[in-house]
Amino acid sequence: MTTNTYLIKEGYTNLNKHGSKTISTMLIICATMLILGIFVIIFQNVNYNVKTLRLEQGLQAFIEDKTTDDEIEYMKDQLHLIDGVSEIIYMSKAEAFEDAKDQFKDQDYFLDGLENLDIFPASFIVKFENIEDVDNIRAQVEKIDGIYKVKYNASTIEAVISISKVANYFLLGVGSVLLVVSIFIISNTIKLAVYSNKREIMIMRYIGAKNSFIVKPFIVEGAIMGVVSALISFILISIVYVYVYVALNSSYALGVFKFIPYSTIWYQILGLYVLLGLFIGIFGSAISLKKYLKA
Amino acid sequence: MIEFINLVKKYDHGVTAIDNVNLKIDKGEFAFLVGPSGSGKSTFLRLLIKEEEPTSGKIIVDGKDITRLKKKDIPFLRRKIGFVFQDFRLLYDRTVEENIVLALRVIEAPEKEIKAQLKSVLQMVGLVGKEKFFPNQLSGGEQQRVALARALATKPPIIIADEPTGNLDPITAEEIFKTLLEINSRGTTILVVTHAKDIVDSLNKRVIALDHGKVIKDEARGVY
Repeated sequence: MTTNTYLIKEGYTNLNKHGSKTISTMLIICATMLILGIFVIIFQNVNYNVKTLRLEQGLQAFIEDKTTDDEIEYMKDQLHLIDGVSEIIYMSKAEAFEDAKDQFKDQDYFLDGLENLDIFPASFIVKFENIEDVDNIRAQVEKIDGIYKVKYNASTIEAVISISKVANYFLLGVGSVLLVVSIFIISNTIKLAVYSNKREIMIMRYIGAKNSFIVKPFIVEGAIMGVVSALISFILISIVYVYVYVALNSSYALGVFKFIPYSTIWYQILGLYVLLGLFIGIFGSAISLKKYLKA
Repeated sequence: MIEFINLVKKYDHGVTAIDNVNLKIDKGEFAFLVGPSGSGKSTFLRLLIKEEEPTSGKIIVDGKDITRLKKKDIPFLRRKIGFVFQDFRLLYDRTVEENIVLALRVIEAPEKEIKAQLKSVLQMVGLVGKEKFFPNQLSGGEQQRVALARALATKPPIIIADEPTGNLDPITAEEIFKTLLEINSRGTTILVVTHAKDIVDSLNKRVIALDHGKVIKDEARGVY
């Protein structure tokens, strides 16, 4: 057995020796990690939806009723010339009617009999690369002959962006507080572990143990607590996420809001948790050891 | 092996624990350090393992002035000195074997050496067959032997025993001293702090007496 294997084994033994303290520490770390995880997931989902909305949303330019097909083609060419425009989709009157039916889904009965009334105008959906260009593009689209109205659902996008900004700051604030709390808890547990091993540490000192030899088992103890808490939190949050995903994504309760599929988010959560667990464990142990282990 | 040169240790509250002591203990020597409580014996030992710093003077251990030793080198000084305490200072949740092996793990000894040394010191202190016992399952004398085995495991050139028989009956105490003499006969320098007058008188070894921090007697073949 090498010295490092021995010290890792010692760290593991310490965990068992401090059984109830270890379990209560891990439970608290799990709770803070879960709260943190929920905020991260909300943040990730809001960002994902902002990104999707930015791509999907575009300006809708309505075409005057008596515009001919040739004129429509000409207008399309002019739209293509505008800087920052990424895609142009032409929506005929019939397609506009189908789109309205789609949007109302189960309640589309009130559109019955309106098929031939021509009430929905033809339009162009003008998509763009950057949200910042929207005002400029809108001004140029309005100048094109045959366009009588340009609609831009700015409020939805701006609301989502401002939510994402708030979520960002909130996550940063809550995350920092939870991180400090977790480090404090681990550090406190290790402090107690050091205290209960006081005699052992003193004996080790007398027989010539270097500080690194004394410290390593405690660091290992902290790291194991952090990583095990991370894995437990990961399992719990995965179960909740999959459950919520299935329950909400299949209903229309959230409107346009879509959850990120679990398959594309699980490794991010796992990676974040394990790194965070290691950081909390090692840093938490190290700060309490520094103070308590003077030669 | 050990030398104190003009050594003074004064505490902040004004007490002088070691008062200009000049002393030399040669390699392979067996010496007793005696004196009443408060004479400076404990300070003497604490200075030797650099648990305390002298106010002035030098302490030479194995040719090196330890007063100039850096903090990171203190463990290496302590590895040269095997310490045996009155209260044994064993780990009671570990077996005899684990207590002894700990000293070898600390110096990062290879596994082969650990096995060989464990066998050797168990034989030396007469504890073969008790490797898997916990300290609480042993008598006081046997526990002190475990402590002795742990001190010997890393083959230190110096053994310091602080009241090693203070908690033991006279017959067991005699056995411990026999073992210490045997270890000394193999070339290990031994310094024993003791109040065991009978044993000191019977062994006819060097006796250094301290009182109020001064050496008041230093006889090559002395009595208590």
